[in-house]
Amino acid sequence: MMNKHSSHYGREIRVAWAIAVKDMRTYYTKPPSLMFGILFPFSLFLSFSIGTKAPPAEQIPILISQTVFFASSSIGPVVIPTERANQTFDRFLTSPVSLFSILIGKTLAGIIYGVGISAIPVLVGIVFFGSQLVDLAALSVCFLLSSLAFSALGIMFASIPGQTPGQVMMPLNFVRIPLLFISGVYTPIRDLPILMQAVSMLSPLTHTVELARYASGGETFFGPILNITILAIYAAAFLFMGVHFHIMNQRKE
Amino acid sequence: MPQESAIEVSNLTKYYGDLCAVDHINFEVEKGEIFGFLGPNGAGKTTTIRMLTGISMPTEGTATIMGCNIQRHPIEAKEQMGIVPDVSNVYNELSAWDNLIFTGKLYDMSKMGRESRADELLKMFGLYERRKEKVQGFSRGMKRRICIAMALMNRSGILFLDEPTSGLDVQSVLIIRDLIRKLNHNGLTIFLTTHNIDEASQMCDRVAIINQGKIVAIDTPEKLKRTLESLQSIEVAFEAAPPNASKELEKLPEVSEVLKEGDKLRLFTRDVPTVLDSLWKYSQYNNLKLITVNTVGPSLEDVFVKLTGIKPATAEGESGKSGPSKVQEMVHGRKKQ
Repeated sequence: MMNKHSSHYGREIRVAWAIAVKDMRTYYTKPPSLMFGILFPFSLFLSFSIGTKAPPAEQIPILISQTVFFASSSIGPVVIPTERANQTFDRFLTSPVSLFSILIGKTLAGIIYGVGISAIPVLVGIVFFGSQLVDLAALSVCFLLSSLAFSALGIMFASIPGQTPGQVMMPLNFVRIPLLFISGVYTPIRDLPILMQAVSMLSPLTHTVELARYASGGETFFGPILNITILAIYAAAFLFMGVHFHIMNQRKE
Repeated sequence: MPQESAIEVSNLTKYYGDLCAVDHINFEVEKGEIFGFLGPNGAGKTTTIRMLTGISMPTEGTATIMGCNIQRHPIEAKEQMGIVPDVSNVYNELSAWDNLIFTGKLYDMSKMGRESRADELLKMFGLYERRKEKVQGFSRGMKRRICIAMALMNRSGILFLDEPTSGLDVQSVLIIRDLIRKLNHNGLTIFLTTHNIDEASQMCDRVAIINQGKIVAIDTPEKLKRTLESLQSIEVAFEAAPPNASKELEKLPEVSEVLKEGDKLRLFTRDVPTVLDSLWKYSQYNNLKLITVNTVGPSLEDVFVKLTGIKPATAEGESGKSGPSKVQEMVHGRKKQ
């Protein structure tokens, strides 16, 4: 029985990984992935940084947060509607693998995309702007939890029945863009009114920004333990809701 | 000991809101059989195939695949089947080889197992030389072959084929039909959904006809044809047919209907010998020279039209993706009379 279970889980992990690798090869360079995952956060950052007097090294954590946020959450909304339109998503549904593992594979593709893109500003900051990396563990946790949470957010939104990435990106951007303004990206949390600080605490992006600042030797408002806890809760919640919504979709099929 | 069925469907039902798409259908498909599933557009064919393959969940009823309940044991059931949907859902960005290898990974095949199987299938389908090319450059027929090859990767016992030859050129159709026969000859059970009644008649051991979500007939094509004796007909052509020949022939004893089909007339009857005798007398009396006389049994198409009750208005409304079907054309032809 033990062997049967372990072989079942081993098989699910192998298939999830195969799906992630296929998605990486197939969708990372698709125009919607490049536009919403790379161009969008970099453009937003550039328009912000032009008007600020903060030194570039202090701005790098903001860029890291934006890239991990946008890149990770863009893969699900690109991949799943496209696969619905091509009926390749049905291929997974008729394969001997659980829906949970299919979605884990898609989430993994988002995580790797987010981490890969976000590593660029880290390297650029260190090499060209003298950014400091004082806590590699904090940065690693920031990357892993944030990319997991945001990738799962994208997968959750991709449960919206649609056959083009735009049909999912539009409602997703109604959530993503307002989050930028309440998460201490452009205005430090300490400068916000108390009510807004409470709202800010509820945003997962706040905790990504805080952890990225903390890893670069900056100060955090809520503290790294709370940052990690809230990100972990969001990651689990988005994953759970994403799987649940996709199961509901399959029941309606 | 009775042989276990490949597919067993019991009271399978699907509702979309208040609409009943599939209504308590029951049938069995025996191992090694080619089972045709026919029906007009919107009859419930695709909904049924989606429930049988685990894409969609039934509202009621059960379906077992090689003894595994698709709802209770979906993984085990899905291991037993390969699926070719109506659209060739291949990954255009990947090569032919990578498409097959990825399918092997979905079935958790070993590296050696999937590579040797991919090799074998690409050779079998005549695509080995082009295995490294991206599928997006392939013709529709080649994509269809890749899609079928992907469905065969896991050496399953059942192959679901949804409109496998729809929209393909004649050569691809012949290749695919030949392949289906060979696969079946090697023991594979085939569940074939098709609009093409000739194809079903030529290939299937048994066919089920579904209409408005209900199975209206299941039998061998020949037995189904025999049930409709009233659809026997005599095809006749005169060297110079008088303009009122249709009306005159309709008055002959035992003739139920006369249709003009090109330069020929088709006389429907239950009693072929009597009509042949009358026809001979009629031609002698009117000094008409018969150049063709054929007796024609009912085709599966006739059975299909009779059982599904397709009417011209319905046919027009369901002209489908690839133009009117043969059934529709035939019905339109009748309407013209």
